[in-house]
Amino acid sequence: MSAELFSVFYQFADVFAFLILSAAGLAIVFGMMGVINMAHGEFIMCGAYVTVGLVKLGVPLAIAQGLAALTAALAGVVVEFLIVRRFYKRPLDSLLATWGLSLIVTQSMLLIVGSSITGIGTPEGSFAIGDYTFSTYRLVLFACAVAVLIGLYVTFMKTRFGVMARATMQNAAMAKALGARTGRIYAISFGIGAGLAGLCGALYAPTMTLIPTMGATFVVESFVTVVVGGANVLLGTAPAAVFLAMIRMALNASYGQIIGQIGMLFAVILIIRVLPEGLSSVLVRRGR
Amino acid sequence: MFKLLDGPQTLGRGRTFWSCFLIVLAAALVYPIFADSYDVGNFSYFLIWIFMALGLCLMWGYGGMLSFGQTFFFGIAGYAYGVLAINMGGGSTTIAALVLSIIIAMVAAGILGYFMIWGGINGIFFGIVTLSATLVLAFFLGQTAGPEWHIGPARLNGFNGMKGMDPLAIGDFYIEGSALYYVMVALIVIVYIALRVLVNSRIGNVIVATRENPQRAEMLGYDVRKYQLLTFVIGSGLAGLSGALYTSWGQFITPSSIGLPAAAMPIVWVAFSGRSDLTATLVGAFLLLFGFQTITVYSQQVALVLMGTLLLVTVMLAPQGFVLGVGKLVADRWTAGRRRDATAALPDAGRLQSDGT
Amino acid sequence: MALVDVKGVTKRFGGLTAVSDVDLTVSAGEVHCLIGPNGAGKSTLFKLIVGLYPPTKGTISFDSVDITDERPFARVQRGMSIKMQAPSVFRELPVRQNIEIALQGRLSGAQRDAERERLLDHLNLASESGKPAGALSHGQQQWLEIGMALALQPQLLLLDEPTAGMSPEETFKTGEFIKSFNAEGMTILVVEHDMAFVRQVAQRVTVMHLGKIFARGNLETILADEKVAEIYLGKTHAH
Repeated sequence: MSAELFSVFYQFADVFAFLILSAAGLAIVFGMMGVINMAHGEFIMCGAYVTVGLVKLGVPLAIAQGLAALTAALAGVVVEFLIVRRFYKRPLDSLLATWGLSLIVTQSMLLIVGSSITGIGTPEGSFAIGDYTFSTYRLVLFACAVAVLIGLYVTFMKTRFGVMARATMQNAAMAKALGARTGRIYAISFGIGAGLAGLCGALYAPTMTLIPTMGATFVVESFVTVVVGGANVLLGTAPAAVFLAMIRMALNASYGQIIGQIGMLFAVILIIRVLPEGLSSVLVRRGR
Repeated sequence: MFKLLDGPQTLGRGRTFWSCFLIVLAAALVYPIFADSYDVGNFSYFLIWIFMALGLCLMWGYGGMLSFGQTFFFGIAGYAYGVLAINMGGGSTTIAALVLSIIIAMVAAGILGYFMIWGGINGIFFGIVTLSATLVLAFFLGQTAGPEWHIGPARLNGFNGMKGMDPLAIGDFYIEGSALYYVMVALIVIVYIALRVLVNSRIGNVIVATRENPQRAEMLGYDVRKYQLLTFVIGSGLAGLSGALYTSWGQFITPSSIGLPAAAMPIVWVAFSGRSDLTATLVGAFLLLFGFQTITVYSQQVALVLMGTLLLVTVMLAPQGFVLGVGKLVADRWTAGRRRDATAALPDAGRLQSDGT
Repeated sequence: MALVDVKGVTKRFGGLTAVSDVDLTVSAGEVHCLIGPNGAGKSTLFKLIVGLYPPTKGTISFDSVDITDERPFARVQRGMSIKMQAPSVFRELPVRQNIEIALQGRLSGAQRDAERERLLDHLNLASESGKPAGALSHGQQQWLEIGMALALQPQLLLLDEPTAGMSPEETFKTGEFIKSFNAEGMTILVVEHDMAFVRQVAQRVTVMHLGKIFARGNLETILADEKVAEIYLGKTHAH
């Protein structure tokens, strides 16, 4: 019985980790600046490719993953400086601009590195409880997702940067008047967002085939998590992921992945009808 | 077709504009006489996509609803046409299949639109929910390779796509080649004129009012949600028209015409052209399709990189759109020149929308 | 006869009670002013009557019909018309088209055009009719919005600080304008800060304070009420 219970938890953890890791970067950028980064999937792809490249050069996996996330973060800061910075007053235009960027990056990658490169294989290691065997790496992913949530919480709630960032999120003009360097806060936040996307790609790189268009596999999950989470991402993203993961898990188990994804989409469409502001609006109301 | 570039000097008003319109139309009508049938077929292919662009222009430029779901409805209608044409048999029933598939796309738009609009989501979220739906549909259709995925004798066939449906036909006569081309031109003229009438009508007034200030529109007694839903259904239905025509034209459809990067294409066409003007969109979309197709022959990736670059550059340099910008420039030159000739005050050459006044 | 009847209405935002158990009656044919110091809850009450918020408790009826659960557009279709506090116009559309959008529900064709020109003339906006509404001055935008509200020929005109940002002259003109429509039988409810304006137009006055009705009566009684002066008028005079 406990093995079955653990199996359910395992499946939940798997989906939850996927949702959190794919959405965290997008959510931070959206929450901080109201910008939906359509090149989010390409930062994920960047993290994955750098990881695989470094591993092939002999770098240990964990270090390669860290470096990959860092690379994506740096790329994010550059993109912020060159493109996103111009559009903070026009969120729809920033979405279009980053979408253009996304097209450029994926198609250039297809031109340069071709359609797919050989992967590095999921790290071995599994354990058994009762009649079930579980992959250790999947649990590592779950642990990483939880660590990301805790890390974000600490960064935004406990550090000086976090205070400034939240002030900027609430009222950029006021924060600026009070001495926050909003430009730099935006750049760092975008970098964090891109870095988290890179981390997502780095962590999932061993588990999937690498193709330049792989970002698309993550964007639906990240979009719906952010939509369900609502405007207050610090509060909304984690509950949204829990909620969606439960739906997804139930459907995956009975009907398979694709029905799980379709079901999740239907759930999102129903939710926006009832709670257009997302889950965070409910939580904020309760909190008062 | 390039004549249209110096045509819209009044952005679609007055005698000069309509003379140009007629000249272009006449050129389009005699074109098949001078061109070989391969080029005519290619031309028909560009024209297929125009409906989708005009639909997005209506929703985004006039209605302020940025839908990323044009290829969603394109795909629904495209697959619906295939399923219906295969199941109902060829001949004249293909016309019924075309009409039905567009209706199916519009019903889908009605349902999705109801949940989004009555839920009150707008702006960015409207875009990403429609895009999510689009990508999920593409993933789903990509997974239907197995023989269990069929509707009647119509196999969905996963990534390889559905094929084997009849093209549009009347009795034994297949609408292909020049005939198809003329049907396309006729449909574009009808849709273009109908949309102009729509945006200049009272309904159009409310549509643009809702874009500008939904609360004020509501406080003038309009149920803005109904107008938004109407806009969404019409715009998406036009994408459906494109989809059904596409399937009929090539007798196949694959999930790749739904997912990324296909879903980005209508956005690029309309953003580049100038979303706030139907004529600019018509002209711009055609030019981009023509250019894209020319480059795709050599490398699809290069063509797509260029499209991405165009989108980026448009947003950075001319957020209102390049074709519209050029059109306005020409229009200003023209009216300035005429003002020098005749001192009489000219009607204000502001926006196309106020045409009907 | 009561045209608007607000009964026992309460509105809470989280822990804050903005409007608490308020009764308000606006009789047909009067110019009724809703006044009170900042934060008194008058704008919230206005928005409740308009339908922008649902009340937490209580009912609102218009012309003896319960409209508590109706959306703003439905209330407008019943004969209300609304001018919000900040100018709210269709900024990118020409002034002319702004008026047209307001008129087209009632009139069409040549009649509509004639009425549009008459209104534009009345609002002193005839020479600006081709400009985008966003290019008008603040005061002109306020006028345009009042014009749009009047174009509906409502039974009840609701105005939230219609003279905010206007010069004293413009304010006075607006007052005369409103009075002329009242003389033709239109009921008018105004939320207002400017006491000169209230003196100019009001027939009946309701004073709100801390989310509750503090006093009500005709203009003279309210002006004579010392407690009202204490909470509100005193402060205004001190300006």
